[in-house]
Amino acid sequence: MKVVLRLLAGPAGALLLAFVLAAVAMLIAGVNPVDGFSALIRGSLGGRRPIAETLVQTTALLFPALGISLAFRAGLFNIGAEGQLLMGGLFAGAVGAHLAGPSWLTVAALLLLGMLGGGIWGGIAGWLRARFNASEIISTLMLNFIALSLAGYLVAGPLKSPLASGAETAPLLPNNWLPAFPTIGSLSFGDTRLTISILIAIATAIVLRFVFTRTVFGYELRAAGEAPEAARRSGINMPRMTLIALSLSGAVAGLGGAAIVTGVLHRFNTSLSPGYGYTAIAVALVGDLNPLWVCVAALGFGILEAGGLMMQADAGVPKDAIRVIEGLIILVLAARRYFATRASSAPI
Amino acid sequence: MHGIRKVYPGVIAVDGVDLDLLPGEIHALVGENGAGKSTLANIAFGAVKPDGGTVEAAGTVGLVHQHFELVGRLRVWHNIMLGREPRKGTVVDVDRARSRVAELAERNGLAIDPDALVEELPIGVQQRVELLRELEREPSVLLLDEPTAALAPAEIATLFATVVQLAKRGTAILVVTHKLQEVIDYTTRVSVMRHGKIVARYETADTSVDEIARAMVGGELPQVAQREPTGAAPCFAARDVSAASDTTTVSGLSFEVHAGEIVGIAGVEGNGQTALADAIAGMIPYTGSIELDGDSTALRHRNNIGIVPQDRHHEGLVLNWSIVENAILGRQNLPGIRKGALTDWRAARADAAAIVERFDVRAASLDVAVKMLSGGNQQKLLVGRALIGDPRFVLAYQPTRGIDVGAAALVQSRLIEARNRGSAILLISFELDEILAIADRVLVMYRGKITGSFTGSEIDRGKIGRLMAGLS
Repeated sequence: MKVVLRLLAGPAGALLLAFVLAAVAMLIAGVNPVDGFSALIRGSLGGRRPIAETLVQTTALLFPALGISLAFRAGLFNIGAEGQLLMGGLFAGAVGAHLAGPSWLTVAALLLLGMLGGGIWGGIAGWLRARFNASEIISTLMLNFIALSLAGYLVAGPLKSPLASGAETAPLLPNNWLPAFPTIGSLSFGDTRLTISILIAIATAIVLRFVFTRTVFGYELRAAGEAPEAARRSGINMPRMTLIALSLSGAVAGLGGAAIVTGVLHRFNTSLSPGYGYTAIAVALVGDLNPLWVCVAALGFGILEAGGLMMQADAGVPKDAIRVIEGLIILVLAARRYFATRASSAPI
Repeated sequence: MHGIRKVYPGVIAVDGVDLDLLPGEIHALVGENGAGKSTLANIAFGAVKPDGGTVEAAGTVGLVHQHFELVGRLRVWHNIMLGREPRKGTVVDVDRARSRVAELAERNGLAIDPDALVEELPIGVQQRVELLRELEREPSVLLLDEPTAALAPAEIATLFATVVQLAKRGTAILVVTHKLQEVIDYTTRVSVMRHGKIVARYETADTSVDEIARAMVGGELPQVAQREPTGAAPCFAARDVSAASDTTTVSGLSFEVHAGEIVGIAGVEGNGQTALADAIAGMIPYTGSIELDGDSTALRHRNNIGIVPQDRHHEGLVLNWSIVENAILGRQNLPGIRKGALTDWRAARADAAAIVERFDVRAASLDVAVKMLSGGNQQKLLVGRALIGDPRFVLAYQPTRGIDVGAAALVQSRLIEARNRGSAILLISFELDEILAIADRVLVMYRGKITGSFTGSEIDRGKIGRLMAGLS
């Protein structure tokens, strides 16, 4: 019994419990959960194309989730990954429509521009916190709305493509497209939306893990998050750490925006994200803010995102049910944290 | 009290204790931290329900808390009469309340102004208010939990004069304390607790500080290291330093600490110690200059200095981190720990192992979270971290706070050894005994100023005590 409880107490347990609850919800809605879940699995893992789509969704969630993890580890609640993602995409899209040159160079430049856009957006919140002690929870959230409105105005006005009917930038020049995912044996992804951005995301996770565990900067960042007063007294410049951590957090999310623009959309518009920056908060928490586990969590949520469509089409489960499952995961996770805190606060 | 037993998860706090308090006696309850003294006092008072045993008292029981439970924004008379205010119709009869307090104070020989605001009173006077509040109910049993922890020597003498008077009038008194000299000076019987049990009981007249201390630790006390002569050159200098922290201020402080010297700041808590320590650590702005070997930036760069902070949980440790990770906090940028942009975890682990060994930090492994360690072991880790590598200057704020007699002796020995090897050590302590035991020079701090300086043979406990209380 104890072993079972301990398993359930982990992030995997949170997922499992959420699926059980989701099954109950499907039963209540009159859908056979077996049908529902089999459609979900077919839509996400049942073949080359579904897998490619799952990985595209995984990547879209992974960048902002990694950025959020970085901020959370520094004790900063960055709720603004959505806005940072948008700004990264906007920077890449605005320049990518015109930037010519060798493909490897221009793509790299656009990804860096994405980091710059997201970094500025995160950095504004960081500066407000460092300078005026303004809550980053409020400011990052508010900056999401500013980013959405600003981007919406720009693509409807100054940056609007004259050829497009909707509000979007001109398409990227083909030299600015991220290369397709490499062919593995006889498995080719050339006809899917999957690009090497998944590899960049995983590499980012590995770099972040290295930064957290091996570098002095990562040590100081974690100290600032775990015990701010002890960190301050150890000589860490806390306002500076706040500014850097939120800027970097935004930069990682912004990189994700640029990856979607250069890899998937090949242009920028405000439907770039159906809320990846918000879902990514749950991804980061399910992954325990540990970059490598965040990768696993992103895959899990990627499966939900990609399989949701099939679930709706084949089993008649509304796609919103996926949101319910995600919500349940977050709830179960919050409960798990509550119990973990209670267990550790017993006198020793 | 008979067969008292109290179990908290994972620990038996009180284990079958019998204790009789006789009318007119002053009974001391002593023991190391965590021996179960406070739990027992709270059971006697009725604030904690025992898991076993019986408590019987003839009449009411009063408890004077270690941390005062007063309302700072209310006047003295109101604090004392709180909840029992005499009424005139629907309003409080202020005149009657004030005269009741004045009469109470007079009868017990405790001078007090009934109309003073409590938050404006010195600690020693606040203690009087707390005591009077309990006396107002005319208890037949009075419990005092570490009543002298925050008092200057003169205030301690006043307090015990009152306590002795109360006992003479037939009140049974229990004093929980760890100051053994007070036990000898003022009490009639003493019970020693260890691991939740009463392990010894003496008539005070028949025992000694040494005998009680041995019973407390269950063996011989470790010897404190000897101070050796050192060549004294100025190392740390504060000149005309003024600063204000949240709670205390200092103004115009000037003093030096030489290499190979321990300078003790004696004073009652709240007289500027926090402001001084925070200014030195660079945590608050200050005017004047604070220099290490003539360099006013050295302290800020945390190079070659060690700091034992005041509050180990918030200021000193990252509780969720391992011993290894905590062993380098504040030292993470020193050459030897920092290699380029990376942390040299092998060096960190070696440092952690050295601290654990030299300071007898008891832990299952170097990788356990420090929140799993007892308070005493956390404190030893903190002091060990401040002293590793023989820093040029050490600021030690209450380095033996909350640790038992044996561990305190070990920490004091390590401080003296660091001094013998040439460290300049500034010791801030509220325990005058600790300062007298290990300091070469004593500075007395009162209301943010240094009011006296004593070196070597000039050190005079009586004079220092008077200065600490603001007398000249």
